[in-house]
Amino acid sequence: MTGKQKKRLWGALHTALILFAIFVMLVPIAWIFLAAFKSHVDVYQLKLFFTPTLENFATVFDDPYRLGEKLVNSTVVALVTVLIAIPIATLAAYSFSRFHLRGETVMLVIILATQFVPAVVIILPFFVMFRDVGLLDTRLGLILVNLAIVMPFAIWMIKGFVDGIPMETEEAAMVDGSSRVQVIRNIVLPMAAPGLLTAGIFCFIIAWNEFLFALILTNKDAVTLPIGLALFKGEEGDLWNLLSAAGIIIMAPMFVLALLIRKYFVQGMTMGAVR
Amino acid sequence: MRDNTLKYLLVLPAVVVVFATAIWPLAEAFRLSFTVGRLNRPGSLDQYLGWENYAWAFFEEPAFWNSVWVTALYTVLTVALTTILALGLALLLAPGGRLRSGAQTLLILPFAMSPALIGVSFRFMFNPEFGLFDAFFGTVFPPLANVSWLADPTLAFAVVVMADVWGWIPFLTLVLIGGLASVPRDTIEAAQVDGASGWRVFRDVTLPQLGPVLAVVVILKSIFSLKTFDQVYMLTNGGPGTATQTLSHYIYFNGMKYGQIGYSASVAWLMVIPMIFLTYAYAKFVFRKG
Amino acid sequence: MADIRLRNLTKRWGDFVGVDDQSLDVKDQEFLVLLGPSGCGKTTTMRMIAGLEEPTSGEIWIGDRMVNDDLPKDRDVAMVFQNYGLYPHMTIFDNIAYPLKVRGVAKSEIAPRVEKAAEQVELTEFLHRKPKAMSGGQRQRVALARAIVRTPQVFLMDEPLSNLDAKLRVTMRAELKHLSRALKITTVYVTHDQIEAMTLADRVAVMKNGVIQQLGTPDEIYNDPSNLFVAGFIGSPAMNLIDGSVREGMFVTTGGTRLVPVDTPDRGRAVLGVRADDMRIDEKGAGAIDVRIYAFENTGESTMLTVQWGRQRVIARGDRHLRKEQDDEVSITLDTAHLYLFDPETGNRIRS
Repeated sequence: MTGKQKKRLWGALHTALILFAIFVMLVPIAWIFLAAFKSHVDVYQLKLFFTPTLENFATVFDDPYRLGEKLVNSTVVALVTVLIAIPIATLAAYSFSRFHLRGETVMLVIILATQFVPAVVIILPFFVMFRDVGLLDTRLGLILVNLAIVMPFAIWMIKGFVDGIPMETEEAAMVDGSSRVQVIRNIVLPMAAPGLLTAGIFCFIIAWNEFLFALILTNKDAVTLPIGLALFKGEEGDLWNLLSAAGIIIMAPMFVLALLIRKYFVQGMTMGAVR
Repeated sequence: MRDNTLKYLLVLPAVVVVFATAIWPLAEAFRLSFTVGRLNRPGSLDQYLGWENYAWAFFEEPAFWNSVWVTALYTVLTVALTTILALGLALLLAPGGRLRSGAQTLLILPFAMSPALIGVSFRFMFNPEFGLFDAFFGTVFPPLANVSWLADPTLAFAVVVMADVWGWIPFLTLVLIGGLASVPRDTIEAAQVDGASGWRVFRDVTLPQLGPVLAVVVILKSIFSLKTFDQVYMLTNGGPGTATQTLSHYIYFNGMKYGQIGYSASVAWLMVIPMIFLTYAYAKFVFRKG
Repeated sequence: MADIRLRNLTKRWGDFVGVDDQSLDVKDQEFLVLLGPSGCGKTTTMRMIAGLEEPTSGEIWIGDRMVNDDLPKDRDVAMVFQNYGLYPHMTIFDNIAYPLKVRGVAKSEIAPRVEKAAEQVELTEFLHRKPKAMSGGQRQRVALARAIVRTPQVFLMDEPLSNLDAKLRVTMRAELKHLSRALKITTVYVTHDQIEAMTLADRVAVMKNGVIQQLGTPDEIYNDPSNLFVAGFIGSPAMNLIDGSVREGMFVTTGGTRLVPVDTPDRGRAVLGVRADDMRIDEKGAGAIDVRIYAFENTGESTMLTVQWGRQRVIARGDRHLRKEQDDEVSITLDTAHLYLFDPETGNRIRS
């Protein structure tokens, strides 16, 4: 076989493998998607063709599941977490980026390290404290613990963006008479806005999907969407059609958000170790 | 206000938050690990018994060692499989073209599925009666046709590993695609002209230069694998029996279901030890650019 | 024995044509330079010879073989890259040995050949070092050594000197020339630097927009340019190109100045080419045309006078002892033996 023929064969194999990989990656998602539209009879059979129904989406919002409440909880918790985390992280990120602080490496390493501590280690003291203070099963409690997870990502991502903004504009403004605070407000914030938005979306996704804390710290009132999934158990087992519908409701916003920030994905998750 | 004061003020809120939400709980968990710590016995959270919790875990509790073993095996398998498959997929996608940008966009989608959702999804797919994957494997490997995956310890473990690998391949692939792109094209073409076949170019030139990125990938994935909880909880809840009970799950079970906070805290802190090494290794890569 | 024959070679990416139906013969042991500005197709042509780029159409022959379907590794060529392409994780020794190792040369044979190649580029003391511990010039020599260790049929060099500083470039040029003659291997060399082309080449192919404008020896390129582009590209300072017309056997600038007699039929538009060295400078009145000096420059080894006719400025080169000032008047005489006329529409040379 000539070099050229070999190349063609490789090319075809190449494309086939890519398509196969994409297929494998998408099948579970696609299957859940289909299941959400199946009636509660169809879902228990291995069917590709069926008559779709929107019933499941209506059912999950009804009693006794009341997914609507969980949806509100998830949104509130994620949103407030982000609204608190981003401004705090931005100030810190600016300082780390522009100044040299004593002990800054230590601080940054600790911030990095908290990300790697398993959530189970942190949750136990929180459970005890919340129980004593009355924060169990509250949205406020969830917000507090979500901050723990989200802050390190926020600080690192935003620092990365601020690092990428050239200092000349700030220096020019200060020579012209601005104070440092004014510079941050009038110059850095507008320029970093896309980065802040990206970091915000990233943290929103993390808070939205957060599972362990919500599992342990909520019971009835503050239950978020992911925990809501556990509700869909019937007498004979899981109600897969309802579960799938709920799954889609959880996933759909995240698809959109993930696509929005896909350029900064790798940077965010690896906290700057890979660009 | 002078910069010198301002700069510390700017970091203060973040430091406070991190301290309150992460450092304090870590310290408190450490303290709790030395107490009797039963949730249903008031006062036991201040009853100290020294290293007893740790000793119990180490010397007298087979369930602890089971979860250590499960976690270790799980971590090694998932890191190896995910890295190799992600590298393969990255190599397939690296050359570029329309297929690649389309594939890269599609690869983001599985990330929108949280680990909990992945657990649920795979539980669905491996259901013995109507699970898609169950049917698929049953047709391809006839001996597996009448098997209930999630009821068999080994097979359930396999499913848990599969779910994790499936979930993390997209992310690792994206990282590795970036890594491959950063290998200078010159070195690859030079090897091609020098006479190396495709495989040799990869082994002698691409792979060594991919070293740092691979290291980051392996460390990061190891950390994520060690922490695994959500997926296991939703897929098998540690079962059948304790066949898939990772350390995180074991800690959760003992702490929340059995109320043994003190003991759980000690196991949790034992878990922190490998994390320290991994974090140190990772930090070296994060800070080498700075 | 390796000559290279390119037949109707074309490379197209979508609508963009990088190399446009070009044919070229490189003789065995010849040093051929592909010269031209960025984007002219010279590197693409060379990469197609190497097999790193696939031609859209056309044939490539090396020796007796049509190599279109051959992978780079099967074409028996060696290449020196612009950024050297050294393997950063291997020692210099391993870098140079790689082509031999990968082709299955016996271990016992590898060491002496590597050492011989290292000797030829004077790198013997550095064999155990890694590329990042070496300077640019040294890395370049490693790349060279890696190319010569194999004695391939063809050398391909892609602007190997462009990343070196000016002084180093001059020394390396001489080394390259010496090596290629000593090793007697057919070489194709790509550059945008016309001095490199003039000093190194047996023949030069000047390229623009994917088309070879002229193929000839350095002497032919310099003294007998076949079109406007070649005329203006070769030579430093660039050849003066003056717009005008031919009337009654004289070349007249657009401004009306009658410059010099030319041996071609009258025509409405023409461009006169004359090199700075072919313009004699005399005191006012002593030469053919009197003119005021626009700018006077002293480069040390010569002087440059910029003078203006109408709205066109030309540069004449004067003796290094000449001293004049801006606005002084001098007299310029064009050497009729070294004049070139071009058709402004086609760019081609008008020959008498």
